Amino acid sequence: MSAITIPHEHEVSPGLWALAWRRLKADRIAMISLAIVAFFVAMMLASSLGLVAGDWSKEVGTNYATPTWFKDDVAPPPPPGTPEGKPQDDPTVQAEPHAEGKGAEDRKDESSVVDPLADVLKEVRTETANAVQAPVVARLETLPFGADKWGRDVLKKVIKGSETSIFVGLASAVVAVFLGTILGALAGFYGKWIDDVMNWFYNIFTSIPYLLLILAIAAVLNKKGMFTIILILGLTGWTGTFRLIRGEYLKHKEREYVRAADAIGASNTRRMFVHIFPNVSHVVLVQISILVVAFIKTEVILSFLGFGVPVDVVSWGSMLNEAQSEMILGKWWQLAAAGTTMAILVTAFSLFTDALRDALDPKLK
Amino acid sequence: MMGVWRSLAMLILGAMATGAPAADMGKTLRITFQVAETGFDPVRIHDYYSGTVIETVYDSLLGYDYLARPSKLAPRAAELPQVTDGGRTYTFKIRKGILFTPDAAFKGKRRELVAEDFAYTIKRFLDPKNRSPYAFFFEGKILGLDDLAAEAKKSGRFDYDRKIPGFEIPDSHTLRIKLKDPDYTFSQILAFSQTSAVAREVIETYGEESNFHPVGTGPYMLDKYVRSSKIFLKANPDYRKETWDFKPGADPRDKDIVARMKGKQIPAIGNVEISIVEESQARMLAFENGETDLEYQLWDVSTRFMTEDNKLVPDFVKKGIRLDRIVDPEITYTYMNTLDKIGDQPNPVGGFTRERIALRRAIAMAYNLGDQIRIIRKNQSVKAEYPIPPGVTGHEPAWKNNIRHDPAGANALLERVGYKKGADGYRSQPDGTPLLIRYSTTPDERGRLFAELMKKSMDSIGVRIDIHIDKFPELLKAEKQCRLMVRGAAWIADYPDGDNFMQLLYGPNAYQSNNACYKSAEYDKLYEKSKLMPDGAERNKLYREMTKIMERDTPWIMNDSRYRNTLLHKQVVGYKKHPILHADWVYIDLDKRAK
Repeated sequence: MSAITIPHEHEVSPGLWALAWRRLKADRIAMISLAIVAFFVAMMLASSLGLVAGDWSKEVGTNYATPTWFKDDVAPPPPPGTPEGKPQDDPTVQAEPHAEGKGAEDRKDESSVVDPLADVLKEVRTETANAVQAPVVARLETLPFGADKWGRDVLKKVIKGSETSIFVGLASAVVAVFLGTILGALAGFYGKWIDDVMNWFYNIFTSIPYLLLILAIAAVLNKKGMFTIILILGLTGWTGTFRLIRGEYLKHKEREYVRAADAIGASNTRRMFVHIFPNVSHVVLVQISILVVAFIKTEVILSFLGFGVPVDVVSWGSMLNEAQSEMILGKWWQLAAAGTTMAILVTAFSLFTDALRDALDPKLK
Repeated sequence: MMGVWRSLAMLILGAMATGAPAADMGKTLRITFQVAETGFDPVRIHDYYSGTVIETVYDSLLGYDYLARPSKLAPRAAELPQVTDGGRTYTFKIRKGILFTPDAAFKGKRRELVAEDFAYTIKRFLDPKNRSPYAFFFEGKILGLDDLAAEAKKSGRFDYDRKIPGFEIPDSHTLRIKLKDPDYTFSQILAFSQTSAVAREVIETYGEESNFHPVGTGPYMLDKYVRSSKIFLKANPDYRKETWDFKPGADPRDKDIVARMKGKQIPAIGNVEISIVEESQARMLAFENGETDLEYQLWDVSTRFMTEDNKLVPDFVKKGIRLDRIVDPEITYTYMNTLDKIGDQPNPVGGFTRERIALRRAIAMAYNLGDQIRIIRKNQSVKAEYPIPPGVTGHEPAWKNNIRHDPAGANALLERVGYKKGADGYRSQPDGTPLLIRYSTTPDERGRLFAELMKKSMDSIGVRIDIHIDKFPELLKAEKQCRLMVRGAAWIADYPDGDNFMQLLYGPNAYQSNNACYKSAEYDKLYEKSKLMPDGAERNKLYREMTKIMERDTPWIMNDSRYRNTLLHKQVVGYKKHPILHADWVYIDLDKRAK
């Protein structure tokens, strides 16, 4: 008689992440939000790789071209004599007659003024006059989301703006959470004077009103650019994460598994980052997602107040800034496009964060 | 109690003496400035807005007839001068009984305006301590004054007590000014608000703070003041009897203005509340909500209140709002610093080598002025072809600037003189070093628009620019030290003569009004010659020649002259924009019933 062996499959109990993912998958709102966030991130990546909206600064429409779906209210044609409808920066169509030609009656006095560039300019004029005229591309009267004052496509600006806004949000959240986690871990794990010093720092940062603090740093740095904004937001945004992580480390360092690690001779760094960190990593993740939303909004505020991105970079904040003087003229599309897009992303991200926090909460197992 | 009765009696007597009813303290005119003031010491300020307040708080020797067009000088603190000695001697008779408003500096005594105050004021322009941006008004003109200034530069102290042959004061109310050479614009200079008289005691009491303690003899006095936010003026109770009595001109509106204003006391309105509101949208909404009585400089929102043929929109007409429209006697221009170095840094747009002139020319050819007028100004400006704007003596209406918008030509020009494009599409200097132009602008929406336009224009010729952003007063400060590279500026006539514009490029005026810090021996020689000539064909010919030199060296990109569209609520009576006066609202009234 031979022994019958029943194949036995070990049931591997799911880990924290697998459980969290399972719970997240069951949440319909979370999945829809995730899809929206993923769509925006994909849009950002495509834009930064130059696949879409690479030519956002090209002037394709007329000054404040109306949105296509709103064309019943198309602006009346421009007054005669204005160069509407002609590409402004196309050098071959724009050249005005030089004074030697039309309208030079008053320049006929005898003059001793000799232009050192006269010979070069003469050559240049002959050259440009003989050059093949580029075809005149008529500017569009309507565009899907309308155009801004220079005639740039608002849809492309929104996409290009997402690149700045989302990238700034993500990058500065990573910087802030990184800082908060390291400082929180040090303060919570070591305690004593290190904790006191860190708390003193924390109190200074939190006692200054947030917006004033970032505006003050922006004014001191006085250099516009994405990197500056990331730095400002990262340096000012770490406090919340610090407080939470410090609390977690205070709690965890007394737990048995950490004491056991200590007993077998694990170093401080190892206990902090190999043993305790994985157990608080869900807090870090939730913090990142909360801060991304907050920082997207702050970047918009900074750019709106004129401390944000430089003139050749577009962000949702700079679009809203431009829109503030357009509203009174009845040109609402730039405000609507930037505002709606931002509202959708921020709402989706917030809902996703909320679901993520629930999914990662071990008490809800 | 006695004191009260006495005051009452004085008040009644005062009212009887003037004949016309005094300023109505129950009326408040509410207006705005789009840029914050920099101070109220006439000699030390250099902006239009501070100048507006100064015009009402102090008295200049001469003023303007409110209705006469073209603008015509009129007596103010003094009668019109007697000009003798072939235009070298100006004798002013100062009106008697003009009092400074009370101030602690006078130690409780009333202080009368005398000839010595004007001599003191003019001397202050040349005191190096004051760093006056308007010193050029008097430099090289008055006998002995330049020597005094030269000594002060050496010793560090300006001797105000020293008598100089240029100022003779035969009696307390007569001032005789003696000039080195004939000067045909001298009366006009003395009608400019910044030459208004200050009292020496006040200036010496407040020292460096003199900018914030205005004590004058003008129709208004400073009541309350919150820096960069609110300026409250109230009618000066001791202001001399001045009755509105201007004669109507050819303008059909004049008759109505005269009918409603004749015989009123100047000023008729008791209080003026000035709010500093930088954004046009906020100013527009404040006007529409009735929070201000008159509003101007709204070109960026002009499509809200103007039709395409530049008439007021029907909604506004229905509300009784009126529009007063003139082309300001101003030019706006973008200057390029022509010094070889800015501080100790090399200046890529400076110098007069063939390459640098070509670079400046190419920048001017690439600048898209059409877009500035059409998009930023909303067609509310006219292109400036000549450095002297319309409405100012010496303007050449048929002149066409030699530099036209031509990016293709600019590109070809740069290519030929050695500014080659690199792989990134941007050009480097002929010696191979990178080319980077710094463009300075303000942190507001308007500043951003100009920066965008400049960036776009420079991109079209492959010139890389760096946008430098700072507050308006900071930019002005740096500009007066020749520390800015490229910036847009505006100059509105201080007096309606071409000289006031042609001096903007006179070499010795660098660090004052010559923002490009431009110095051309050829230009300076012609300018000095033109100074000695009255207005006429001969002087105009010199101006044309100077303009050609300017176009050749291209220290400026000529921009535009803006339309001033002043919106008036129906309660505003008697308003007509004066081309030179800043505070023309001193001559208007408010009709309370019309509100």
